This record gives sequence, C-alpha cells and structure tokens, in this order.
Amino acid sequence: MSHDKNFLSVVWDKLKSWEGFLLLVLILIIIGNTSLAPNYLSIGNQMNLFILSIEKIIVALIMAFIIINAEIDLSVSSMMGLSACTLAWLYSQGAPIPVALLAGLLIGVLGGAFNAFWIAKVGLPSLVVTLAMLIGFRGFARVLLEDKSIGDFPVWFDTLGQQPLVGPFPLALLLFFLFVIAAILLLEYSGFGRYVYVIGNSREVAEYSGVKVNRVKTILFIASGTVAALAGLLFAARLGAVRGDLALGFELDIITMVLLGGVSIFGGSGSIYGVLLSIMIVLNLRNGMSLANITGHVQTGVIGMLLILSVLVPNMTQTVRAYLDRRRLAEASSKNNEQLSVNN
Amino acid sequence: MNALMRRFRPEQIRELVLVVLIIMVIIFFATQIENYLSPRFFNRISTSVAIIAVVAVGQTLVVLTRNIDLSVGSIVGFTAYFVGQQLADNNEIAPLAVVLMAIGVGAAMGAFNGVLVAYGRVPAIIVTLGTLALFRTMLVEYSDAQTVITSSLPAWIIDLPRANIFSIDKLDFRLLVGIMVAVVIIFQLMLSYLPYGRRLYAIGSNPDAAKVAGFPSQRIVFFAFVLCGALSGLAGFMFLARFGNITVVAGLGIELKSVAAAVVGGANINGGAGTIIGTLLGAILIDVIDNSLIRWAEISQFWREALLGLMILLAVAADFVIMNRLRDLWARSELQMTQQDVEETQTQEEPGHVA
Amino acid sequence: MDKKPVLEMKNISKRFDMTQALDNVSLTLYPGEIHALVGENGAGKSTLIKTMTGIYRPDTGNILLDGQPVHIHNSQQAQSHGVAAIYQEPLVFPDLNVAENIFISHRDRGAVVSWKKMYKDAESILEKLDVKLDVKMPARGLTLAAQQAVEIAKAISLDVRVLIMDEPTASLSAHEVAQLFKVANTLREQGVAVLFISHRLEEVFKISDRISVFRDGRHISTNITGDVTHDSLIRDMVGREVGDYFAKSQAEKGEVLVSARGLGKEGVFSDINFDVRRGEVLGFAGLVGSRRTDVGLALFGIEPADAGEIIFEGEPLTMKSPEQALKCGISYLTEDRRQFGLTMPMSITSNISLPTLKRYLSGLGLVKHSREKATAEDYRKRLTIRTPSVNHEVGKLSGGNQQKVMLGKWLNAEPKLFIFDEPTRGIDVGAKAEVHHIINELAEQGLAIILISSDLPEALAMSDRILVMREGKQMGIFNREEATQEIVMTAAMGQSHLTEEISQ
Repeated sequence: MSHDKNFLSVVWDKLKSWEGFLLLVLILIIIGNTSLAPNYLSIGNQMNLFILSIEKIIVALIMAFIIINAEIDLSVSSMMGLSACTLAWLYSQGAPIPVALLAGLLIGVLGGAFNAFWIAKVGLPSLVVTLAMLIGFRGFARVLLEDKSIGDFPVWFDTLGQQPLVGPFPLALLLFFLFVIAAILLLEYSGFGRYVYVIGNSREVAEYSGVKVNRVKTILFIASGTVAALAGLLFAARLGAVRGDLALGFELDIITMVLLGGVSIFGGSGSIYGVLLSIMIVLNLRNGMSLANITGHVQTGVIGMLLILSVLVPNMTQTVRAYLDRRRLAEASSKNNEQLSVNN
Repeated sequence: MNALMRRFRPEQIRELVLVVLIIMVIIFFATQIENYLSPRFFNRISTSVAIIAVVAVGQTLVVLTRNIDLSVGSIVGFTAYFVGQQLADNNEIAPLAVVLMAIGVGAAMGAFNGVLVAYGRVPAIIVTLGTLALFRTMLVEYSDAQTVITSSLPAWIIDLPRANIFSIDKLDFRLLVGIMVAVVIIFQLMLSYLPYGRRLYAIGSNPDAAKVAGFPSQRIVFFAFVLCGALSGLAGFMFLARFGNITVVAGLGIELKSVAAAVVGGANINGGAGTIIGTLLGAILIDVIDNSLIRWAEISQFWREALLGLMILLAVAADFVIMNRLRDLWARSELQMTQQDVEETQTQEEPGHVA
Repeated sequence: MDKKPVLEMKNISKRFDMTQALDNVSLTLYPGEIHALVGENGAGKSTLIKTMTGIYRPDTGNILLDGQPVHIHNSQQAQSHGVAAIYQEPLVFPDLNVAENIFISHRDRGAVVSWKKMYKDAESILEKLDVKLDVKMPARGLTLAAQQAVEIAKAISLDVRVLIMDEPTASLSAHEVAQLFKVANTLREQGVAVLFISHRLEEVFKISDRISVFRDGRHISTNITGDVTHDSLIRDMVGREVGDYFAKSQAEKGEVLVSARGLGKEGVFSDINFDVRRGEVLGFAGLVGSRRTDVGLALFGIEPADAGEIIFEGEPLTMKSPEQALKCGISYLTEDRRQFGLTMPMSITSNISLPTLKRYLSGLGLVKHSREKATAEDYRKRLTIRTPSVNHEVGKLSGGNQQKVMLGKWLNAEPKLFIFDEPTRGIDVGAKAEVHHIINELAEQGLAIILISSDLPEALAMSDRILVMREGKQMGIFNREEATQEIVMTAAMGQSHLTEEISQ
C-alpha cells in the first residue's frame, strides 16, 4: 500500500506542476514535427505559426481572465465575425477604412457591454447569455453581409495583415508581444488581476472585502468584446476578404487554449504562462498535423478531445487520490471497530 | 387576476402565452405573405418542426438536470450519414432495423457525453463543446467527404416524408410528424408519471436535497444524456428521410435551435423546471418564425439567426425576472389563504412570535 | 421506563481538528417518549444528530437499534432503520409540489406515479398533522413552517421510529408551534421516539418527558421533566468558569462612535438600539437564530437594514455596501472563515492586503509587492502568525493562524469600529488567548468594538456591556457588573419578564 501511495504521490506532484507537464508535451510535439519536416524549427516557420493564429491567441488571453473570474464568454468568435462584417459592410457602403475600423471596434465595445449588462446587472449566468449571443452576433453578421463576400480592400489594409510592418515583424507579431506583456502585467502584477483571481476563487470573500465585483465583471466582458472585435478586424486584414461565417467555431480552439493551459473551469486559478505554453501546444500540434497531411476537420476533432482531456485528467487524478484516501481511512476505522467489538 | 393565478400554474400560463404568440405570429405573417395559410406551407413546416422538436425533447431532459448538450447537431448529422450509408450499401435492410440503428448510434454518442459529465465530472458545456467538434470529425472521416445521395437510397425512405397517416382536406398529417407526436407524448408521460422522470426534476431542482434523499444522481444524469443522444439519433433518421442528400454539414446548428426551443418553451436553464409540451410549443414558435422569414420579402431572411439568439436571451431573462415574480405572487396568494385560516383558528396565545 | 429502548447511543466521541465535539456521550431513546436535548451553541447537539443520521461517523462508540449494533453511513440507511430528522431549514425540492416532496424518496409506490393516490395520501398525512396546505402547490415560496410540515409529513410517511426535530420551532408562529406539539404528541402515542431540540425552555417543559443537557461535547444530565426546574437546567447548561480569561483592562471610554436607532430588517430583526463608545467593547449574546450576525452584516453594509438609522460619528447614514463601510472605518471579521473570510488558495500577503489593495498600487495600477509583503511581515510578527513564509497558502495554515491572518487583514484597514463575529470559534486555547489579548489592546487604543460571541463566558469576560438578542429582538443591554451567565442565558432563552426587571 505504501508502494502505491508513493507512486501516486509522485504522479500527483508531477501533475501539480501542470506547466512542467505542458512543457514536456510541447517538446514532444516539436520533436515529432521536426522529424516530419526537418526545417520545422526555423524562425520563419515558427513566426508564421503565430502570424497565422494571432486572432485566436489574443482572444485566448482575454478569455483566460474571464475563465479565471469563473465566467465564460462563448460569443467571442461570433463577435469576431460581426466586427469584420461591420468593417466590410461599411467599406462596401463607401466609408473609408479607418472609419470602418473604428466602427468595428465600437461594435465590440457595445456587444461586450450588452453581455456585461445581462451578466453583471441582471445576474443571468454568463454561459446562457453568451450562448445566446454566439447565435445573436453571428446572426447580425449575416444580416450585414447576407451571403456575399466582400474583399478588394485598399492595398495598405491587406499589407497590414500580411507584410512586415516594423523590421521583419508584421503587425500581428507586434500585437502578440504587446498583448502577452499586457496580459502578464495585468493578471499577474496588477491590482485588477488580484481582484480577478479573488472573485474567481470566491465571490463572497471578494464582496465581504469591499471589492466591486460587478464592476470587475463588467470591465472583463467589455474587454472581451473589444479584443474579439479587434481580432476579427485583424483576421479580415489577413484574409483580405470577409464573409458572414468568418471565424466560425473558433471558440473551441480558444477555450481549449485556456483550459489546457491549466486555468480551472471553476475559476480562481491558472496563469498566463500556462496559457502561453498551451497556445504553443495547440499551434504546433495543428501545424504538425498539417505536415502529416491530416485534414482540418480531423484537427478540430483532436482539439475537441484535447479540450475534454484538459478538464478530465486533473479531475480523474483527484478522484483516484480521494478514493485511495477514503480506502485508507475506511481500513483504519474498521480496525478501530474490530478492537471495540473485541472489547465489548 | 388572482382568480387566474389560482386557476393555472406558472408553467401553464407560460404555455398559454406561447400558444397565443404562435397564433399571433401566424396571423401576422398571413397578412404579409401571399398564400401563407396554404396546406403546402403547413406540411412543410410540420415536417421541419418534427425534426427540431424530437431533438429538443432530448435537450429538455438534459437541461432539466442543470446540464446542456451542444453536441446534438453533430449527432444528428453523424447518424443521418451513417444510417444513410448503410442503406445505400444495402437497400435490403428492414426499416425497423434502420430506425433502431440510428437510435443505437445516437445513444452510444450520448453515453460518451454522459460518462464524461456524470462520472468524469467535466462540465457539460466543455464536454459537449468538445464532442460537437469530435462527432463532426467522425462524420467527415467516415464519409471521406462523400455525400449520401437520394438515388442510392431505397424507395421506401425516399417516400417516407410524404407518407401520410391521415389527411384533413389537403392538410396532411405525415408520418414524420406522427413520430414527433409519439415522442412528445411518450416523454411527457415519462416526465409526469415515471419515478425516473420525476427524479430528473428533483436533481435539477435541488442537487443537495437529491443527495440527502439518496438518488443515484450520476446514473440519472448519465441516462439523460443517453436519452438525448438516442432522440438525436432518431432525429438523424428523420433528417435522412426528409432530405435524402446528406453532406458533412448535415444537422449543423440544430444544437442551438434545440436549446432555444427548450428555453423558449419554459425549461429553466438552471434545471428543475420545464415540460415537453412547452418545448414542443417552443420548437413550433421558433420554426414558424424561421420558415416564415425565408418567405417574407420585407426583411432579409438573414435575420433568422439574430432573432434566434435574441429569443433565447429574452426567454431566459423573462424566466428569470417574470416567472420568479409570478411564482412568488402565486405562492403569496396561496399563503394568504392559509394565513387567513390560521388567523381564524388562532386562539389568544402569547403574541410574541413572528412567523 | 419499563419498555426496551429503541435507540441507544453508547460512548460516542467525535473530534474535528482542534475541537472535541463529542466526548464519550451516551443517550437512550425509548419508544413513546419525547426526549428534549438542550445546551448552549457548540454543546455538541448537532454533531450528535449528524452521527445518528449518518452524516458523520463517530470516532468511537456504538449505535444500537433495538439492542443490535448498527452502522449508519448515510441518511437513506438511517431512514431504512426508521431514523429521520427535520431541521430548522428544511431541504425541499422547490420545483416539485408538496405531495411529491413527501413521497419522492419512496421506492415502493409502483413503477408509475399515481398522482391521484399521491395527492390523497399526502392530504391524509397532512390532515393527521392538522396542516392546511394545497398538496398541488410547488414547494418554492412555501414559508419555512410549511416546508417543515412537509418534511415532517415525509418522515411520517416513511414509518419513522425515531424522529429528530432540530430547532423545529425557531421560525414558527405560536399557532404553528401548537400544531407541531399536537403532531409530536400524536407521534408519541403511536410509539415513536421523538428527540426534540430547542432553545425555548418553556417549550421544552411543555412537551418533553425527559430532558438531557449537553455542555462542551459532554453529557451533563438526563432527568424526568417533572424533576427539574428552569434554574437547575440553566445551571447545568452554563456552569463554566469565567476564570480562564484575561482580566479585562479598563480602557478609557471616549465619545459615542456609532449608534443604532430602531434598526430593523423585514423578517430578520427589528428595533435594535445601542451606542458604542470609543474604547468600549459591546458584547452581542444570544442563541442560534437570535440574528446577531445579521445586525453585524447590516452595520457592515452587506445586508443593509431597511428600517431605522445608523449614526456614525454623529452623522446619520444608510450603510449600503461594504465599500462604504470600509471607507467609514468599519471592519467586520466574519464567523465563516472559509466561505466569507479568506481566499484559501491564495497567499497570506494577498489576503491581508485585499481590502486595502489600493494603498499598494503604483501609479500604473501594479501591486507594489515589496510594500505589500512588508505589511504582511509586520502582522506576522505582531500577531505571531506561525508560517514558513508570508507567501504561504492560507488554506494550509491551522485554524488559529488563519484566524490571525483574517485579523491582520481587517486591522490593516485601520478601522474605528471593529465588529468581531465569533472570533475564537474552532481555534485552540493558546490562539484564543491571543485573540482576547488583541481585542483588549484595540479597545485601549480607542477603537469601538462589537463582539458577537456564542461563548458566553468569553462574552462576559471581554465586554463592558452585553446586548442580548433573541429571535431578532433586543432583550436588553446589561452592564458588566450585573451580567451573570444565568441572567444572560435566561434573557436569551426568552424569559422576557425577568429581563425587564433586571434591565430596569
């Protein structure tokens, strides 16, 4: 018995440092990928990974805040679609691109505020509100563009999404660094981040300590809408054309990136570093699967499995541990009872 | 008002409101769209409602237990394709075997969800967001991106959607609608009269009390997902019969419509409340609006999705705000009744106690 | 008693961390008796009930049913043995109707629910209880009394042999209490053993055949009701010496800092009046359900009062939120550390700085970790928090050290009024003494202090004056000199005529 306990506690200690585990997985994936394509680790290829997924990455960063706060925002990918469609529609109506960009961002702020109103003010669960808006925002996007595809943006706008902007870095990569630094500072070092964790751990403790819980939640959902809108605009610039189904289903990758990164679905714990590692895992995994000629659909299925596993595995280890603890206790107490009945 | 309150339960009032809304929507579109009240349109909508409603019944069972199943659309798509492929390969399979196969495949997929939610303790939203993708992937892999085409199917299934049970003048009451009616009746009876059905309500209503009462909560939740999967499988068969051509996008978006139907029909997203009749009315309302918008020239049919989203939000908000108030009001009027009894019978005991 | 006992609890002990909740306790219940169990808060009554219904397992000791030892591991097993309990806050299914709530745990009512029969059976059971309820009405929105009636009906429907009633009358009106007693008497006639727990002594005398007294997890006495008096009962219940406490230092009393005038909250408490001066400790005494904590929460703005006013430093104000209370200079140390007090997975430092985090932010809104840590270190020394480091997770500390972290958190807010809610519950003797010492020190520094405590000797030793509450009502304020355990307990138990005499 002491043998299993030792073995389990070792496994447990390993899993407790989830980041260590993620790093191991990441290294294995990269080794696998390098064996498929020898120049896999080249800077160009690695940079490309980020450029091609920048939209998901920045939304995953804000989603980490929301899930740590013990909420969820399922409407992000639809908001990406809506902001891009707003841009394209205004452009097709003759508005200059800068105006259209601003309008796209504004839609994000308003959409986020709309979610925040129902969640923080009225008190509905974020799961339902954002599920409704997953359909709602997408619906508005389709109302704007119907089944048209709008492209032919000015050259400078397309280049913004595709060509290097400063030195060798395109806008996407610069934004990535900007967002990562901002997310780390905000979540790990700022007072606001502290509130996010405390509320995620226990809304009551936060309230009893004078924290303005609803204000924090409102800010988070507005930020989520705005960042998603920005991501949609970036995606539009990268693709060079916008359709109503832009970014459809992206919430799967985004939420997987956050939960695989060690953020608890029940809120209160997780770090940006873990999320960064899991972003790298998801990106490299998808890239590796492409190298191995695995289709996009199968890739999505693999990500779906990964999402479930990222919650299931920690749960199961906990269950096994609790079971062993109970069995130990039961054995101890049955011994006790035997002694008693002997005494009687 | 008070008399009305006492006569009807909140759920019944809600169902009444839904019926009125459906009638109003139909009257509205009848003034807007030519030939709206034609038998053809009735037949079309009734077949379309049938599929959504069967899935929504399954969704309702899951929602009653405070869970949600977002994978139903993928289950519908997969079973439709899988069964279609089997039939295309072997036209001789007996119809009943086909239906059972669809239900079985769906139930297996539901069991996968159920194990993870009930025994793996992974939140339903995460599990079914994952299997939404996973089951769709299975469909793509299995189909190899090929399409099941009508011409490869046996004649009986192609004729099925037009098969009538009876007709009133030109209004056909079709077999698919018959299946839906049977499902609605069976599951409403199950929820009303079987201990299992009552326990679905109990678990969603107060999980702690359910634990104290000693219900096998995990098993109950597991079977809710299995039933939801089985019904989605049945809907997959109906989908195959209705469309004949099955592509990899079959059933896409049904998950959201089914949630909408359940919630609009009065199922409480926090579990414990909801009826199958309500869900049926919800499905009818949603699908009538959906199908009517396609034919309405005034605004673009692309408003359908946006309206669906807003309807879910409105239904949940209304449930939260109005139904709570209504229930309280109803409970209070009831209380006043008992209070009066108490006061009448109360003797001159010490007045110090406050209820 | 010539009958054979139905249920015997023999030499039961149960320990939780630092507290010995039950210490070698025995209790015997006979069929056809109403057995009252009384004792202060924390005497071990609830723990005993929970071992009887299988929620806790005793560390040592046996439970005998009809003379046979039984193991009760959960409430269904208890039910199948005929042991059921009803609580002050009943566990009903709000969406199910009354009849269904009564019968939902039955497994012998056939494969199909027969609603007609269920309604009829439910009605006949409720009729037996003389309770008028629409059996088709959902339990949501029923009063507590009605929900309780449903629970009793459920127990009766299960052919109960031992019915435990835990504070069943706390939220009932006089008429409802009379009804309940009628039911209890009916059950007695049918041979059921009823274990009746109540803080209302007059009820205990009226209904019970025998009375057992518990104190500090020990069984003190069991007597036939006719053989005991109010006074002897109260003596058995209190009986602890006050000597273990710090001599109260007489702090200089300043001007009145905070006053309550007619403070009330509908359905919770009403007409609360008091003044607290700087340097004064005002104790709040009362039993379970006396609503002392609710008054504290109203002062701290978490559950704002809806009647009367709070006067703070001479200004009448309505306290609407904890933020506002913090700004005024009020700290509130909660009784429930786990749920409301501390974020367990976070560090000592971040817990201490939480209410005052704004002080530790740079211009950019970033936390100045070194200053924050310095504060935490400061409190670690001042309050002798035993921990490897201030970065340690709070959840991994002992109860006493957690309590000190919570103290540090609220001291750091630099309050003028400090409300302590059960500051020494569940911590060891040494930590208790330290907490008392700190309270004395704060009073000397000129803070106004409200001390809510169920530990009567503690409240008596620490307070300058004691406000006694009972079921949301203020029963009187006693000066330190006149307050004895007997007098305070008598007031808390509702002998109001006596209270008035004394407080005048």
